[in-house]
Amino acid sequence: MRVLVVEDETALREQLATRLKQEGHVVDAAADGKEGLYFATDYPLDIAIIDLGLPLLSGIEVIRRLRAAGKVFPILILTARGSWQDKVQGLEAGADDYLVKPFEMEELLARLKALQRRAAGWTQSVLHCGPVALDTGAQTVHLHEQALELTTFEYKVLEYLMLHAGQVVSKTELTDHLYEQDFERDSNVIEVFVGRLRRKLDPDNKLQPIETLRGRGYRLTLPRSAA
Amino acid sequence: MLSLNARQLLAASLALAAFLGLTGVSLDQAFRASSEAALRERLQAELYTLLAATDIDRKGKIQLAEELPEARFSQPGSGLYAEVVSNNQKQRWSSPSLLGQGITFDARLKEGERRFTQLGSGATLVYAMSFGVNWETAARGAENYTFTVAESADSFNAGVQRFRQILWRWLGASALVLLAVQGTILRWSLAPLRRVEKDLADIEGGAQQRLAGDYPKELQGLTKGLNALLDYENRQLTRYRHALADLAHSLKTPLAVLRGALTSTPDADELRRLTQEQVERMNQIVGYQLQRAATAGRATLQAPVSIAPLLQRMRASLDKVYADKQVDCRINADNTGVFYGDEGDLMELLGNLLDNAYKYCNGKVRITAQPVSQPLHHRTGLVLEIEDDGPGVPPDKLRAVLARGVRADESVSGQGIGLAVAQDIVRAYQGTLDIRASALGGAFISIAFPTR
Repeated sequence: MRVLVVEDETALREQLATRLKQEGHVVDAAADGKEGLYFATDYPLDIAIIDLGLPLLSGIEVIRRLRAAGKVFPILILTARGSWQDKVQGLEAGADDYLVKPFEMEELLARLKALQRRAAGWTQSVLHCGPVALDTGAQTVHLHEQALELTTFEYKVLEYLMLHAGQVVSKTELTDHLYEQDFERDSNVIEVFVGRLRRKLDPDNKLQPIETLRGRGYRLTLPRSAA
Repeated sequence: MLSLNARQLLAASLALAAFLGLTGVSLDQAFRASSEAALRERLQAELYTLLAATDIDRKGKIQLAEELPEARFSQPGSGLYAEVVSNNQKQRWSSPSLLGQGITFDARLKEGERRFTQLGSGATLVYAMSFGVNWETAARGAENYTFTVAESADSFNAGVQRFRQILWRWLGASALVLLAVQGTILRWSLAPLRRVEKDLADIEGGAQQRLAGDYPKELQGLTKGLNALLDYENRQLTRYRHALADLAHSLKTPLAVLRGALTSTPDADELRRLTQEQVERMNQIVGYQLQRAATAGRATLQAPVSIAPLLQRMRASLDKVYADKQVDCRINADNTGVFYGDEGDLMELLGNLLDNAYKYCNGKVRITAQPVSQPLHHRTGLVLEIEDDGPGVPPDKLRAVLARGVRADESVSGQGIGLAVAQDIVRAYQGTLDIRASALGGAFISIAFPTR
């Protein structure tokens, strides 16, 4: 997914960016509130991590303006003070969760996943669509209770499609959210990966899990199920 | 800025100078006027004597029937002169004293006319009194004469001069005395201010803790305010000192563990695990102590915080954070419940307790807030109850948390930290915190803030 990191502390910002990229996310990083607001307004984000104590424009103000502009992606706030007054203020401004510094990177990643899942309307960490079960925590996929071997990128594509199950997801959207900016956009890598996913998920061609809508993109046709 | 002393002295000196100057000038004028009046009277008397002694013979010649009683008329240049002259200038008599003085009296007055003038200049300056007389003789009929008596201005001026000297000398002396008295009064009345200054310097130097002793009524507001501020400062300082000492002490244990591990743990994975564990512990300690230091404590002049809206805000926030759990949180609080204290402290207290409740519950949290009143106490108390359907607090943790004087390095992690923070805040407001098992199955935390 595409993550915006707004943090003025350079070391922490770089640590976060590096770690998030390792996890396969697309990362935009901003060092102050104004830049952060600009990125968040202009880029197709899935989630934003915003420090509360920012130069130029406070984190609270950035969040308030983003929500006022109709941005609905989840926002995780980072705060060093950790007082409840700060937390409540941030949450009331429109943030969805908070983390008090210093925090464990694993904790942050888990929170991001949960937020993304929640934003897509899933309440459990394991997503079930028909016979496919995708565990966002363990990053594993099961088909008919059988473990399925997927490459990292195949997993990312499937996760994105399952999070947005039933919705049309364009190729551009997939590239935007799963690739670094400098990736060559006109290559047909997405088609190749979707093709491989189809073969792995539907070896005998009965399930037809991913539908192609000409000129619009892909849609996961398997129905969401609660358990 | 000009000191109070200098202001007072300057103002007093100016007033004194103006007062004494005006007094001097008016006394001088009065003395001069009365001297002049006395001179007139004397000259008038001499004039009558002259009139009485004067005789005019048949030829119209002016003669003195007898010697004038004042001897100075006979001594040339004595300063006292007399002249009788007929208005037609034909007859003239002058006192021997006028001989060779070069003084002429040119007044020619009608009968009954009187004139007082100053004549001549410099050494020959005189004050002259002239009087017109109509003298009828058998031989020559009625004729007009002018009688003049004059006195040199020297003695008059010398008298005025002498008076002036004495006057200004005395005025000067009394001004000095008055200034000295004024200065003394000033020193005496400003002495309390100087004492405050000295006491403050002593406090700064560490010789004393507060402004001691009696101060005049006018200064008591100031000194009481200063003392209250100093006391508050002292309390804060003590608290910070304790918090700092607690922090340092409680950090020593994990540091000791780490140092020991560095020398005695050969396995890298084990070392990493230990470091992680101790860093987490230190982080909790820092957070806990920071919280303690930030607690504002009982405030006397603050507006009370209404509890119900705050509970709703906290619930909305926590519902967001624990969205996955879909917690059913019910608040039973009306608008009468208020908390007398800092809003930040109350939020911290509720935040810690509610966060625990949300974290450990299976889906149900119940909050009750009730005001408590007592006759004669104008501030209501507050009873807060928070319960959940989670596993509850294990008894051993409970003891550790509720034991008085719990130190950060002894308190337990997780639920314990939140409870310890809550306990500290409640104590700062002289309240009580109690934990027991809830009918829902989890913890039942009850907090009571006393009426006052």
